[in-house]
Amino acid sequence: MNIAQLLNGLALGSLLMILSSGLAMIYGLRGVMNFAHGALYMSGAYLAYTVTNHVSFWAALIVCPLALAVIGAVLELVFFRHLQTRSHIEVGLITFGLALIIERIIGIIWGPHTLPVPAPDVLNGTSNVFGTAYPTYRLFILAIAVVMAAALVFWLRVSDTGLHIRAASQDGETSAILGINVDRVSLTVVCLGAALAGLAGTLAAPYFSVQPGMGMAILINVLIVVVVGGVGSLGGAMAAGMALGIVQTVGAVWLPNLAALLPYIALVAVLAWRPTGFAGKRV
Amino acid sequence: MTVEAPLLLSDDPLAPTPSRRLKLGISPRGVAIGAVVAVVAAVAGLAVPSIVNDLYWMGILVNGLLLAFMSLSVGFMAKHLGLISLGQTAFFGGSAYLVCIATSSWEWSPYQAVAFAILGTTAMALAMGVLVVRATGIGFMMLTLAMGQAIYQVVIQEWARDTTGSFDGVAANIGDQTFLGMGVSDLLDPTVFWNLGWIVLVAVTYLLWVAGRSRFGVILEGTRENTERMRFSGYNTFLPRLAAFVFSGFVAAVGGALYGLNSGYVSPELLNFLKAGDGIIAAIVGGLGVLLGPFVGAFLYVYAQAEFNNSGNLYLYTGIASVLVLVFLPGGIVGTISTLSRRLWSSRTGRKPQA
Amino acid sequence: MSLFRATSVSVRYGQLRALENVDIALEPGVVHGVIGPNGAGKSTFVDALSGRTRLTSGNVEFDGADITHRSVRWRRKAGISRSFQKTSVFNSMTVSQQLELVAHRNHERDLDGIVDALSLGPVMDRVCSEVAYGTQRSVDLAMALIGNPRVVLLDEPCAGLVHDESVNMLQHVRDLCRERGVGALLVEHDVDGVFRTCDVITVLNLGTVLCHGTPDEVRKDDAVIKAYLGSAA
Repeated sequence: MNIAQLLNGLALGSLLMILSSGLAMIYGLRGVMNFAHGALYMSGAYLAYTVTNHVSFWAALIVCPLALAVIGAVLELVFFRHLQTRSHIEVGLITFGLALIIERIIGIIWGPHTLPVPAPDVLNGTSNVFGTAYPTYRLFILAIAVVMAAALVFWLRVSDTGLHIRAASQDGETSAILGINVDRVSLTVVCLGAALAGLAGTLAAPYFSVQPGMGMAILINVLIVVVVGGVGSLGGAMAAGMALGIVQTVGAVWLPNLAALLPYIALVAVLAWRPTGFAGKRV
Repeated sequence: MTVEAPLLLSDDPLAPTPSRRLKLGISPRGVAIGAVVAVVAAVAGLAVPSIVNDLYWMGILVNGLLLAFMSLSVGFMAKHLGLISLGQTAFFGGSAYLVCIATSSWEWSPYQAVAFAILGTTAMALAMGVLVVRATGIGFMMLTLAMGQAIYQVVIQEWARDTTGSFDGVAANIGDQTFLGMGVSDLLDPTVFWNLGWIVLVAVTYLLWVAGRSRFGVILEGTRENTERMRFSGYNTFLPRLAAFVFSGFVAAVGGALYGLNSGYVSPELLNFLKAGDGIIAAIVGGLGVLLGPFVGAFLYVYAQAEFNNSGNLYLYTGIASVLVLVFLPGGIVGTISTLSRRLWSSRTGRKPQA
Repeated sequence: MSLFRATSVSVRYGQLRALENVDIALEPGVVHGVIGPNGAGKSTFVDALSGRTRLTSGNVEFDGADITHRSVRWRRKAGISRSFQKTSVFNSMTVSQQLELVAHRNHERDLDGIVDALSLGPVMDRVCSEVAYGTQRSVDLAMALIGNPRVVLLDEPCAGLVHDESVNMLQHVRDLCRERGVGALLVEHDVDGVFRTCDVITVLNLGTVLCHGTPDEVRKDDAVIKAYLGSAA
């Protein structure tokens, strides 16, 4: 294994980390596994394609997460809030239907072809990492992910809103009695989760290019990450996302025959050993 | 003497007390009545090809029939275990693959291939069930998703190409052999194949109905509702769940084997996530709380597919339909109809409906 | 030899000592009360004896055989049953369905006897979630009594009941245990009820046995008075 492969793993892991932290937060708060998360990521990537072509990639980096936050608000206000009393599994299946709708709408707007998104010129070259020339853009992904993860954890630990989110994730009913507005907290979290998915999509666009199957493909990996990390656990999801990125990339080099199966093997192994995942329910 | 005998008996601690007969589950009479209904339905269904009398629509009806096996298997677990499986494709598609592989690569007869496919896939369901039925809710969904996807990934690998054909799939090769008197052209002809498929589907539906109404079904209900109390009442809470999972896998496997015979060809699409979604959405649209919900849902689903597919926006409409049904008709179409009719009936007779 | 004997039972959750060296012995036909202030470890004790919670140390014997590591299901089949403080019934089933479900597994031959003793006859065909709370408590108790268990562990059968219901419930418990020769462990919050009902009483405080004896002996015990006054203050 060389440094480039390891870095590839870290870059993929970064994207999984950003995506799964959003999914884990929504799950922690609403108890709903958001099957539309892959579709949100895909929306981010396609929006990034358009914004990059008309304005610039830097603009996309701002615009896409904001646009996705709006979609997140719709998701929360129209569905999650009204369906609180329904079983979480039903609401999960509704998000699956939403995923189908969103992906098809994207198909109608942007067509069925793979679309390339150029990285900005500054990031287009290679950088020297311990003597290996490595694409600068992937290092950029990694850097953004680390900054984002640190900021998110810091915000949850320090701010009042963060405290409310952590409380509401532990026990929504008690938090409501204690005067925390769970609906408002949930709106924040779902918007934030969707925005993170948009950010991941934007970052992924120049890396993988943009294509119709990208949402479903990454959704399965992200679901596995969240379950392995311990449903509802932000730290667990982040760690598991990074780990899966590395394992998959490195596995592709060492065990090319089995690499595609590694996430499933990991999932079954972890759940057989510890049904609540690595970190249990904690944010 | 005739008066004393029961008194003596009741002093004997081993004697059964006749006062209260245990009536857990359906009575033999109910089973028999159900059988009569099933036979009538099976026979009546044989008239469908001559009524429809159109090859295109018969093709769609056969698709609905095959999908019904998958949605029934999803629905059975949803109704009796309260669990949604995202991995029934592993059994449906797995069984279809085995039929095609066994008849082509191994040159088995269609009988051997079908028996092997159903038994092999059911055995696989047993092995997987041991791993997954302990999980609940989301954990179960994720594990079954992983299990279905793992099978998909194995099948599409290049190193599996010799057996599975990777992305190209496998064609069955029955040659000039016959299955229950049907040659290749009969199996491919929906008007002929319908008869076989319909009878098997009705038989499987009847089996599911009996299982759900039987003592086994009551035990599943108890386990779903209060697992801890079941354990503290002396019940094993693992084996009944496992049995239900395997049974449900068996139903999907039977459907898959029929699919393999009818289409004569399998491709990895049969195993992917969207195909699992088809079965689940069909079951939900029909209604998970009622046995016939998934059955009806599957036919509605392929009908809608056929109507909407012309515009190429199939999954858009599928998505909209499933969201609308889940939001506004949580019991599904059949569930809602049966609730409404029960309410109507009870308001007429003035009796309180039994939940 | 006692019918059911627990020796030096300890349960710890990490640093928290929920139970520490608790002994108890149940005899056929005897109702053995366990009382104690909040947090005394009463519910943990029932959980430990019924196999719901693993013991940190100590052992449990039934009929002279060590059953410490036996499963919940094994215990029920051997004749050890329990009821729950937080009502544990099958909400969507009718009362008769669920009693029959339990009776089927435990080879009960006289379900009518239990139904009559707990006056459940009129509600047999009602769905359990629709019957009154007190009746649900009776259903919970009935499920523990089905199948002629030899030991029943009752976790606050009167929890949430009003005074009259509570008196009735304890009356039922005592009559059924005496008639059937069942060894009963009765954990209860209602101290007066326990003094009225039980033949022997063990008082727990902070996870240890504070005192043990007949109702009269316990009533006079200084440590008990102090513990209860302490918790009330």
